[in-house]
Amino acid sequence: MKIMNCPLNGPRNISEFAWGGEVKPMPDPASLDDRAWGDWLFLENNEAGVVREWWCHVPTSFWFIAERNTVTDEILKTYPASELFKERVNFAPSAKSPQAEKK
Amino acid sequence: MAGMNRLPAPFGAWIDRSKPISFTFEGKPIEGFAGDTIASALLANGQTMISRSFKYHRPRSVLTMAGQDSNTLVQVGEEPNCLADKRRIEPGLKVEAQNYVGSFEDDKGRFTELVERFLPVGFYYKSFHEQKTSWKKWEPIIRAMAGLGKADLKADFHHSYYDKQYLFADVAVIGGGPAGMAAALSAAESGAEVILVDEGAELGGSLWYARFNVDGTHGSLTRGELETAIAAKRNIRVLSDAVCTGLFADNWLPVITGNRLYKLRARSVVVATGSIEQPSVFRNNDLPGVMFASAAQRLVRLYGVKPGDRAVILTANDDGYGAALEILDAGISIGAMVDLRATVPTNEMTQAVRRAGIDVIAGHAIKEAIAGHGKSRITGAIAAPVAGDGKLGDGGRVLDCDLILMAVGYSPAAHLLHHAGAKFAYDTGSHMYRLETLPAHVFAAGSVNQAYVLDATLADGRRAGWLAARDAGHSAGAEPPAPVELGCDGLTHPWPIFPHEKGMDFVDFDEDLKYKDLINGIADGYDNVELLKRYSTLGMGPSQGKHSAVAAVRIVARETGENLNRMSVTTQRPPYTPEKFGHMAGRVFEPERRTAMHHRHLELGAQMMPAGLWWRPAYYGQKSERDKAIREEANAVRTCVGLIDVSTLGGLDVRGPDAAEFLNRMYTFAYAKQQVGRCRYVLMTDNAGVITDDGVAVRFHDEHFYVTATTSGVDAVYRQMLWWNAQWRLDVDVANVTAAYAGVNIAGPKSREVLKRVCEGVDLSAQAFPYMGAAMAEVAGIPARIMRVGFVGELGYEVHVPASQGEALWDALMAAGGLEGIRPFGVEAQRVLRLEKGHIIVSQDTDGLTNVWEADMAWAVAKTKPFFVGGRSAEIQAKKPLTRKLVGFTLANDSDPCPEECHLVLKGEEIVGRVTSAVRSPSLNKVVGLAYVHPSDGEPGKQFDIKVDGGRRIKGVVTKYPFYDPDNKRQEM
Amino acid sequence: MASLTNLDPATLKRRSFIYRKLAAAGAEFAEVNGGAVAMRYPARAENEMAVARRMGLADLSVLSHGGFKGRGTVEWLTRQGLTIGADSNKAYVQADGELAARLAPTEIFLLDALQGTGRLINQLNAAWQWAPSAPRPQQGYPTPRQDSHAWFMVTGEKSAEMFAKICGVDLRPQHCPVGTIAQTSVAKMSSSIIRADLGSTLAYHLLADIASAEYLWTCVEDAIAEYDGGIVGLAALRSLQA
Repeated sequence: MKIMNCPLNGPRNISEFAWGGEVKPMPDPASLDDRAWGDWLFLENNEAGVVREWWCHVPTSFWFIAERNTVTDEILKTYPASELFKERVNFAPSAKSPQAEKK
Repeated sequence: MAGMNRLPAPFGAWIDRSKPISFTFEGKPIEGFAGDTIASALLANGQTMISRSFKYHRPRSVLTMAGQDSNTLVQVGEEPNCLADKRRIEPGLKVEAQNYVGSFEDDKGRFTELVERFLPVGFYYKSFHEQKTSWKKWEPIIRAMAGLGKADLKADFHHSYYDKQYLFADVAVIGGGPAGMAAALSAAESGAEVILVDEGAELGGSLWYARFNVDGTHGSLTRGELETAIAAKRNIRVLSDAVCTGLFADNWLPVITGNRLYKLRARSVVVATGSIEQPSVFRNNDLPGVMFASAAQRLVRLYGVKPGDRAVILTANDDGYGAALEILDAGISIGAMVDLRATVPTNEMTQAVRRAGIDVIAGHAIKEAIAGHGKSRITGAIAAPVAGDGKLGDGGRVLDCDLILMAVGYSPAAHLLHHAGAKFAYDTGSHMYRLETLPAHVFAAGSVNQAYVLDATLADGRRAGWLAARDAGHSAGAEPPAPVELGCDGLTHPWPIFPHEKGMDFVDFDEDLKYKDLINGIADGYDNVELLKRYSTLGMGPSQGKHSAVAAVRIVARETGENLNRMSVTTQRPPYTPEKFGHMAGRVFEPERRTAMHHRHLELGAQMMPAGLWWRPAYYGQKSERDKAIREEANAVRTCVGLIDVSTLGGLDVRGPDAAEFLNRMYTFAYAKQQVGRCRYVLMTDNAGVITDDGVAVRFHDEHFYVTATTSGVDAVYRQMLWWNAQWRLDVDVANVTAAYAGVNIAGPKSREVLKRVCEGVDLSAQAFPYMGAAMAEVAGIPARIMRVGFVGELGYEVHVPASQGEALWDALMAAGGLEGIRPFGVEAQRVLRLEKGHIIVSQDTDGLTNVWEADMAWAVAKTKPFFVGGRSAEIQAKKPLTRKLVGFTLANDSDPCPEECHLVLKGEEIVGRVTSAVRSPSLNKVVGLAYVHPSDGEPGKQFDIKVDGGRRIKGVVTKYPFYDPDNKRQEM
Repeated sequence: MASLTNLDPATLKRRSFIYRKLAAAGAEFAEVNGGAVAMRYPARAENEMAVARRMGLADLSVLSHGGFKGRGTVEWLTRQGLTIGADSNKAYVQADGELAARLAPTEIFLLDALQGTGRLINQLNAAWQWAPSAPRPQQGYPTPRQDSHAWFMVTGEKSAEMFAKICGVDLRPQHCPVGTIAQTSVAKMSSSIIRADLGSTLAYHLLADIASAEYLWTCVEDAIAEYDGGIVGLAALRSLQA
């Protein structure tokens, strides 16, 4: 069984982790046309090489990033998600009817 | 009583003659000593034949005495396929041979051999491909003939106690022979924590039995020194009688000993697994009396058993001469040394044998072992001159013997290295596979690494141990030098294969494959060793090609003209030796979750049902009265008051300045303006706009929402929330408090009266505490979160309290409702009640594709929020025509049977949807349900076809829901 | 010999999820923190301290435990007088023997001392209040650890070896100093293990999902049998610590 190094908990059996897919930051949904949104949502690069992935240490529900070579299955490094996502993300108010939220 | 073939001490180092043990073989009493294996005890008592072969039911006996072959598989009690040459005897053990029809001695199945030409290689492919022959007819016959032992699951079967345990080491050394012992010492001297795993009963490997010098002292002296040194090291732990069956990623090593599987994790590993002696192929090379020289040496030295009275030794190296000296010491006469080599080198060993007056026949091979009566013991050997690779010349001699020892070469026991991804190449000098590359953190030492001379083996072990320790972060002193003279050349004969025109010249003993079978397989077109393996089953038996793989490669190379250097042996995969399901299973760890009220439900006669890992009451009462119980429980809620345990419901505390903003993003609805003290529905979709969960958000504070989620969905919801906020970085904290709160729903027109009696600090009147209201208060003196929600469609309150006080809450409410006759109700009644109200259950009434539009839940989507997960996709879906629609339905003819979940909805002959829920409503006394229908049939009053059991079609009528109390007067009273 | 004045756990509101099992094993209960804790098992012939030194298992679930998490947690707790070090996955001993287990930079799990007064955790729970208006200071949020987690204690020289049967983290004393926390999977359940020796006796807290308490208790009971282990009461643990 592989070992993965959790940035919070240290090296653990891979069975303690859940894979969360490739890191592909979401584009601004409002400025994307339907096709581009669908492409982002459903198309994967399936890269043969080093990819950045989300992993979750299940006992602590701790999400982090791993850089892994998909050819050799070697995990090159792991680090907290905060190293990649540093800023608060805001969404522009909807153009359609900004006041419309009712009680 | 010691057995007729028992040798005196010092032979038999592993047996304790002061402890006799009796057991039975085929019903006959057998006497052995503590330390004996089944096989050694049987041979000591003259019981040569131990088992019968898989296909031809040929008599078989000891081949390796090392647990590497399947010639001695026996049934021990109810356990089939035990290795008789490894399994230690115990008092009262009931041992039986395997693979015979009628009696073991007079097996009717042995006549299969006479029809062997009708059982060609690739028999299954040829016979059953394209149904030329009926598999159905043949299967029972084949299974009866070819089974390995008996697994009787009906009679007396009981579970044995197996378990697993983790072990941790800096350096794991696999193999307790000279190389492994030296490696362990060297690593320990560097300061590493070492675990030394050894298959043997005691450390030493070949040092116990092999002849390293003429007088045989070298091995035992070396063993003694190493053993003393290891015993003195506190940082070496020795696991004896333990087999490492695989080498997996990041040095994860399964090690089996007894009924335990160790999961050993090491920073670095030294593989010192030695090598496996290889057989010669000749006629009758499989019969009792033919064995490896090393097997005979083990029998003599370890168990004090004389394997025969007169031996012929077939050899191609000096080790055969060492074995000869050993055999002579044991008082066994030697008919001749038959040496494949044209000239026998002159050295200490060969000279010593010659001095003993033994006839050395150079340039000869064994053409055939003479099968004795019933083939149960050979009675001689026919030697013939070698006339070229695999060819024998005319003439030859008949040699009288009851024992043929094979010493014609080795193959590295490289299985674990293969598992790790090491690469090997055929070495034309040594005629063995040589290690080419090693993966990181794995080292090899000893004869698996071509170091055969004892000094080289020890030096190689010291070097590998030092390197492994350094790799694990422990370094001391200088790197020991690599051995110079390995001694691997001249040990292994390149072609010890001598096919016989009358066959029975076995290449693979497990699968009864003869030389001709391989030739025919190649002729059939399977001329690649990997293909031939699958076609012929070569190497697929219990010993996994340990003795057949190299011979097969040689044969294929020759037949196809391929260069051996460019061929590899068939891939060796884990496990190295067979593992039992018990080892894989270990203790059964199947977590289950129980609510605080679990035992109260049992006391009330509940039938429990699983819900994810949880157990929930389905209904209360006898199974025979299920329907009645559910009806009465539902009725109690509609007319009086009922109490259901909802502790399994997911609960999340979402707190912080951004709590409302966070919910706005996670759920489809809008929460920024939700009032404190009010509940609001939550519906979650994923990024693709598919409905994934629902529940209720209760705002207890400006910055605190208590959000419920489905029992099975909450863990995923929680994980998703954390994942999104790892990206958004909102100032919000999410805590999964599911287990921390026990909860009940007290529901029914009289629920307010009952709750009032035990509730303090809150006014429960309709005005002060309306539908969808919420408050924190005390119930029966327990701090509680109270929510007035209406899943079942009556006046009702969910009361959530700290889990450790959940049972006390249940007790208090059951007592408080005594006057009204409060009735506990289960999940089944709740499902009926909610369906009457038309509430969907996510993942029952929705599937992996359901979007908000087809589920008719547009009302739950706030269309003006800047963003919510799934919103962009929902927007796109809204522009597309619906492909199906979730509707409520009743039946056109109410006397039709109630449809079941997943009954198909048809439009003409086309499947357009399915029933997701349906029940005969006790409150309305008619069938009500939910179903996906074609969008054109989505309006109330439209009829559609449902295909029910038996293929019958009935008519559903789209009906507006809620079916029950459409104006919601009852839940809002 | 069972005491005639033995407390029935079901007469108190706070109940361990496994009180029936403890009672069936012959526990003598005493009230602590509003619940019944198993103090001793009078019917057992062998001295409980001897069992606990070898391989003991105790249920402390009703003892006070709690926690805080979220931004500002550690700063706020520090202002309340707690001493909390910088490292996560370390437990820090407080003035009266309570433990502040730092599960993450912004998450603290609090365990009462074996005396079971509940003083510190009660005081903290009372001290934490929402600030009257936004913007509110960052001070973390209380977490209902008392009720989300069962609290067992595993004691004795064989503890680490026993854990190796149900847990994949190396807990051997030389690799797991006192105060080390392992948040991991135990018998396939997410759990936290904290090394907290009792005097000179090796010991670990085991904290896991309260709803799985019966399951986990059964697994540990099975695992300790090999080491001649047994269930012990709080009294024995207190004696070892003294």
